[in-house]
Amino acid sequence: MLKYKSSLAKPEKNLNRSSVWAYIFCAPFIIGYFLFSLFPIMYSFFISFFDWNGVGDKLFVGVKNYITIFTRDPLFYKSLTNTLLIMLMSTPVEIILGMLLAVVLFNMKKGKSFFQTANFLPYITTPVAIGFIFAYLFDWNNGYVNLVLIKIGILHEGIYWLQEPATARMVVALMIIWKYLGYFMTIYLAGMTSIPEEIYEAAKVDGANPFKTFIKITLPLLKNITAFLLVTSVIGGLQMFDEPSLLYSWGERSYVGGPDNSVLTVVWKFYNDAFKSDSMLGYGSAISFSLFAIIIVFSFISYRISAGKEV
Amino acid sequence: MKKLLIGFIAIVTVLSILPFYLVFMMSTYYSNDLFKGLPFLPSDFLLKNFETIFKTNFIQVYGNSIIVSVSAVVLCTLVSSLVGFAIAKYKFKFKKVINNFIIITMMVPMQISIIGYLLEMKTLHLNNTLLPIILVWVSYPFGAFFMTQFIKDSIADEMIESARIDGCSEPRIFATIVVPLIKPGIATLATLVFLWSWNNYLLPLIIINKQQFYTIPILVSTLGTAHRNDLAARMCALALSIFPVIVVFLLGSKTFIKGISAGAVKG
Repeated sequence: MLKYKSSLAKPEKNLNRSSVWAYIFCAPFIIGYFLFSLFPIMYSFFISFFDWNGVGDKLFVGVKNYITIFTRDPLFYKSLTNTLLIMLMSTPVEIILGMLLAVVLFNMKKGKSFFQTANFLPYITTPVAIGFIFAYLFDWNNGYVNLVLIKIGILHEGIYWLQEPATARMVVALMIIWKYLGYFMTIYLAGMTSIPEEIYEAAKVDGANPFKTFIKITLPLLKNITAFLLVTSVIGGLQMFDEPSLLYSWGERSYVGGPDNSVLTVVWKFYNDAFKSDSMLGYGSAISFSLFAIIIVFSFISYRISAGKEV
Repeated sequence: MKKLLIGFIAIVTVLSILPFYLVFMMSTYYSNDLFKGLPFLPSDFLLKNFETIFKTNFIQVYGNSIIVSVSAVVLCTLVSSLVGFAIAKYKFKFKKVINNFIIITMMVPMQISIIGYLLEMKTLHLNNTLLPIILVWVSYPFGAFFMTQFIKDSIADEMIESARIDGCSEPRIFATIVVPLIKPGIATLATLVFLWSWNNYLLPLIIINKQQFYTIPILVSTLGTAHRNDLAARMCALALSIFPVIVVFLLGSKTFIKGISAGAVKG
């Protein structure tokens, strides 16, 4: 440090020079964010107070769009309920199975990286492909799921998986579990690997069995990771769109919302209202900002639940 | 008990891979033969299915997707590394403000900007080009956050100071000292951005409505109407669209998994 200062004739000038460069280095990010995110966000917010279809005149309606969403649009509540139901069916399974798989892998000596890579594949796959694969597997007539279940003798005739509200939600939840299980496992595995070896050694010396070690040591130390996974899946889950909409975009089954709108999610409704049926851009913007508010509330709640009171 | 658990993970793994396997196998079949049983072994119809697909503008769309993903990766890693370098290694007045700004914007969902973005692009006459689906990646808050953390952890202040003493200019410090040292971080971010931009569905669905500018997810999702009866050809298109993603992932899977889990364990 001392050497550095003495070797420079004018340290202040040098500092100035480098702080100018810091601004130059930040500039592309800031300018880009303003142009392609912040400005569009403000513009969307502005539009959310208008009745506008994108071509005609804008009609200022104040907060009417927001009032309509929360008091006169039952489909909005339905879409929110659907989204939450599907999340409720998938997230706990992901957390429990993900943790269990991570424990198994953690204690494995051979083949760890093979299993990790193989199970991570669904996470990186194009959602379009997942939608199509599942639509095909659960097809009533030709789907392999019915085919196999009938062959084994569990079913006498095929189930209409994609035509009944309850099973439709189940299939969407399954898609999500299938996609994210490997990701949850990987994150838990990374968390377990970061727990110091000495803690486990000490537990062994004290005569704790593997089950007790897991409950008393591993589980509490993974609390932050569970919180992270829960909060991020709440944020991501409330924005669910790709999986349900792609499940129902194939040929003759191509209809919005699934059977009886049972898998219509908030973002799907947003997409539909803003760009498909009537192109109500103002109303669509209002839906997106309402969703943003809901996301903030739910991620705060889930953070509180999972991280405990001391945080 | 142990055997039971290993059996369990084996089953889960099979379920993870099986759909991929089926898609790849089905793309080698003649459509009408598909339902004669489970297609576990390859058939000999792959080239014919290729022919069917290449009669559409599949190659052009494939090219579009590659252009979009490669540009997104280059722009995002460059811009993110620059801002990350500034925040990690410089002292300046608005450093804290910019850092907090990045963290807050990471939580903002993309839907709230999408309508404004569409109208902005229409006004600039950029809709129906590939630019709108590239430009969203320029300032990607996660990328900026990720590179800030990575540069903080992997470059010592002394290195930069001694380069300054040697009369190295700031841009040269970035190009010749910082970039070579953060290659693993760049690789992880590049893999992520490649996957995300390749798989992106909602934005191109909304912005693009000319077929010549379609990306792979949009084309594949509309193949259903064009090739309703040729299921095998659709499977083949699907296989081709998943293929590069799997290659990119397998090439970088070690650093990639490390990078993606580092964020969670630290945060």
